[in-house]
Amino acid sequence: MNLRAFLAILLCKALRLVSRLLRRGGTAMPGSFALKICPDLLRRLASQVKTIAVTGTNGKTTSARMIEEAFSGEGLSYLANRSGANLASGITTELVMNATLGGRMKKDYAIIECDEAAARSVFSQLRPRVVVVTNLFRDQLDRYGEVTHTLENIRTAIQGAPDALLCLNADCSLTASLAGDLPNEVIWFGVEKGAVPSREKPEISDATHCIRCKAEYEYDYISYGHLGGFRCPRCGYARHAADIAVTEVVEQRMDGSSIVLSIRGEKQLVEIGLPAMYNIYNAAGAVAGVTAMGLPASAAIAALGRFRCGFGRMETFALGKKGARMMLVKNPAGCNQVIEFLQNVKEPSVLAACLNDRAADGKDISWIWDADYEKLGSIASRLARVIVSGDRAEDLRVRLKYAGIPDERIELQRDYAALVDDLAAEERPIFLMPTYTAMLELRQAVIHRVGGSEFWEG
Amino acid sequence: MELKICHMYPDVLNLYGDRGNILCMGRRLAWRGIGCEVTKLPIGSQARLSDYDLVFIGGGQDFEQQVLLEDLHRGKDREIRAAVEDGMPFLTICGGYQMLGAYYETYDGQRCDFIGALDLYTVGSRERMIGNYKFELAPESGGSIVVGFENHSGKTRLGSGLQPLGTVLAGYGNNGEDKTEGARYKNVFGTYSHGPLLPKNPAFCDFILLTALQRKYGAAELAPLDDAAEIAAHNAMAARL
Ligand SMILES: [Zn+2]
Repeated sequence: MNLRAFLAILLCKALRLVSRLLRRGGTAMPGSFALKICPDLLRRLASQVKTIAVTGTNGKTTSARMIEEAFSGEGLSYLANRSGANLASGITTELVMNATLGGRMKKDYAIIECDEAAARSVFSQLRPRVVVVTNLFRDQLDRYGEVTHTLENIRTAIQGAPDALLCLNADCSLTASLAGDLPNEVIWFGVEKGAVPSREKPEISDATHCIRCKAEYEYDYISYGHLGGFRCPRCGYARHAADIAVTEVVEQRMDGSSIVLSIRGEKQLVEIGLPAMYNIYNAAGAVAGVTAMGLPASAAIAALGRFRCGFGRMETFALGKKGARMMLVKNPAGCNQVIEFLQNVKEPSVLAACLNDRAADGKDISWIWDADYEKLGSIASRLARVIVSGDRAEDLRVRLKYAGIPDERIELQRDYAALVDDLAAEERPIFLMPTYTAMLELRQAVIHRVGGSEFWEG
Repeated sequence: MELKICHMYPDVLNLYGDRGNILCMGRRLAWRGIGCEVTKLPIGSQARLSDYDLVFIGGGQDFEQQVLLEDLHRGKDREIRAAVEDGMPFLTICGGYQMLGAYYETYDGQRCDFIGALDLYTVGSRERMIGNYKFELAPESGGSIVVGFENHSGKTRLGSGLQPLGTVLAGYGNNGEDKTEGARYKNVFGTYSHGPLLPKNPAFCDFILLTALQRKYGAAELAPLDDAAEIAAHNAMAARL
C-alpha cells in the first residue's frame, strides 16, 4: 500500500461523507479528486473484485439492476454503481466506499453500469470478466457523435479488456459486429424468429446498411427498431444464433411478461416483473451476463421474477386514484417502445410528457420527430388529457400537434409541483413520459407529494 | 392543387429529425386542402426528378455518405444539376446541402467530389459546430427569422456569385466566420439547420411550399393557419439565443 493510494482513499471517503452530510448527491467529485492524487487507484481496487460491466445505448441501468438482483438473491458480496455514477470518477468513488483505508476491497464482486464514452477510458482499468453490450441505437447525437462513433468507443473499450467474456445482442447488427474483430469469447442473446409477430421495417432505422460492406440488409423478422434477423445479401454478415434465446413471448401484461427462454438449448418459462418488449431484451442480456459470471441460470431467472420497476423505468407511484407510471424515454427507439406500451392501455388515461435538452438528455431534440408519436395521435381519443412539460415543452406541443393530437387539447404546464398537484386529483391512470433530467426533477416532485424511495432499491 | 415531393435517400439521409420536415410540409398542405404525395427515392432506385414538384434531401452519417456517393455518380448527379438549373425547388439540409456543392475535403486532405450543382465547397475542420442557432433569411427567401440546431464539422464556403440563404444572428452557420448561413440558388434552399427546420419556422415552410406551388401552377396562395403552437416554440428558442 503506497502513501498516494492511502491519501487518495482517505480524501475520497472524507469528501463523500461531507457531500452526504450536505445532502449533495454528487458521487463524481470525491472520485475525481482521488484519481488526481493516485491515477492508478481505480485499477488497484478493481483488480481485487470480479467485475461485470454493462454498456450500450438503451437498457443499461435496468440490465445492471437485474444482474444485481441475481447476485443479491445468491447472497454474494458485491458492490454496484448507481445511476449517474457511471463515469470513471463515480465508479472510483463507489469502489473506494467499499474498500478499507488500507486499500483492501471488502466485496467480492462489482456490477458496473458504464456509459459508452466512459467505457473507453474505464475498461482497461476495471478489467471486467464479463461485458454485456445491450444494443446500439442513435442516442444523444450531439454528445457522442454518430452511432458508428459510439460503436468505435465500445470497441476501443473492449480492447482494454481482452480477456472479458462478451455478452452481445445477436439481433443488433451494430452490436454484433463487435464479435468480428475482437479476440474475446462471445455469448449471444436475442429474440428468435416467431417469438413475437414480426414488425414492419421501421420508417427510420438506425442501421439500414451493412456495417461491413454497406449493402442494404435483408430481414427475416424485426422485433423492434433495427433489431431482428438481419442478413447482408452481399458479404454474408448475418445474425448469429443466440445462446440465450427468447423463443416465445407467452404474454405481455401491464406489470410484466411471461416468456420462454432457451438457455443453451434448455427451455424454461420465465416471468419478468417488468413490462414491454425492450425489457425482454434486457432480461435476456441479464441472464447471459449472470451465467457468464458463473452463477446458475436459476439465480438469474428467480431474479427476473422478483424484479420490480424502479427509478423512472416503468416505475409506479401512488399518485392519483389509479396510480402513475413513470416511463423514461431518451431516444426514438426507446420512445417508440413506450408509445407501443401506451397503445395497449385500453382505458382512458392521462399522459404527461416532459422534454428537456440538457447535456444528459442530449441538447439536440430533433429526435422527437423520428419517434412515432403518430401512434399516440391514433389513440388520441383514449388520452383523456395530454400535458406537455419540461424545458422544451413548446417543441413537444408542436410535435404532438403534427402527430394528430388537436392543439387545443394539449395543456402546457412547466411547473412540476403544480403538475403533480393537478395529477394527484386524477381519477384515471397517469402515464409520465420524461427525458432523463426531466425524470430526475419530476420524480422528486412526485416523491415529495406521495412518497417513494430516493434511489432505486429494487 | 397537389404537390409531389421527392424525398431523396430517406434510407441513409435521415439523421436529425429530417422526417419532421416532410411531415410538416404534408400537414400544412393538408390543412389547406392541398394534396401532397411523398415519394421516397432510396439508394439504387431509378426515377425522373422532373416528375416531382419539390425535392428534399436530409443529413446523414459519415459512414453512409460513402454508399451514397457511389449511387450519385451513377448519373443522379447529372440529373440533379439539370433539375437545379431548370428551377426545381430543392430543400437540402446539412449533409444533403453539402452534397449539392462541388466537393468535400476532409481535415486530412482527402477530397470527395459531390454534385457540383451549387458553387460552394466544404472543408472538414477539427472543431464541431454544434448547438441551437438563429439566422435571418435574405429578403428573396422571405426575410423571416429561422431557429434551428446545427451539428457539423465541415466549413462551407460560397463562391463569389452564390447568395447565402441568410445571415447568422447567433451560432456558426456555414463556417463560423463570415456570418453566412446556407445558400440560395434559383429555387434551391440549402441550410445546416435541422431541429427539424420547418415545424418551428412556419413562415419559411410556407415560403418554400409557395415557391413550389407557384412554379407548378403559375399563381398560388396559401391561406393562413393558426400557428400559435409553432410560433410559441419558435419564440421560446429565439429568446434563448
Ligand atoms: Zn455486407
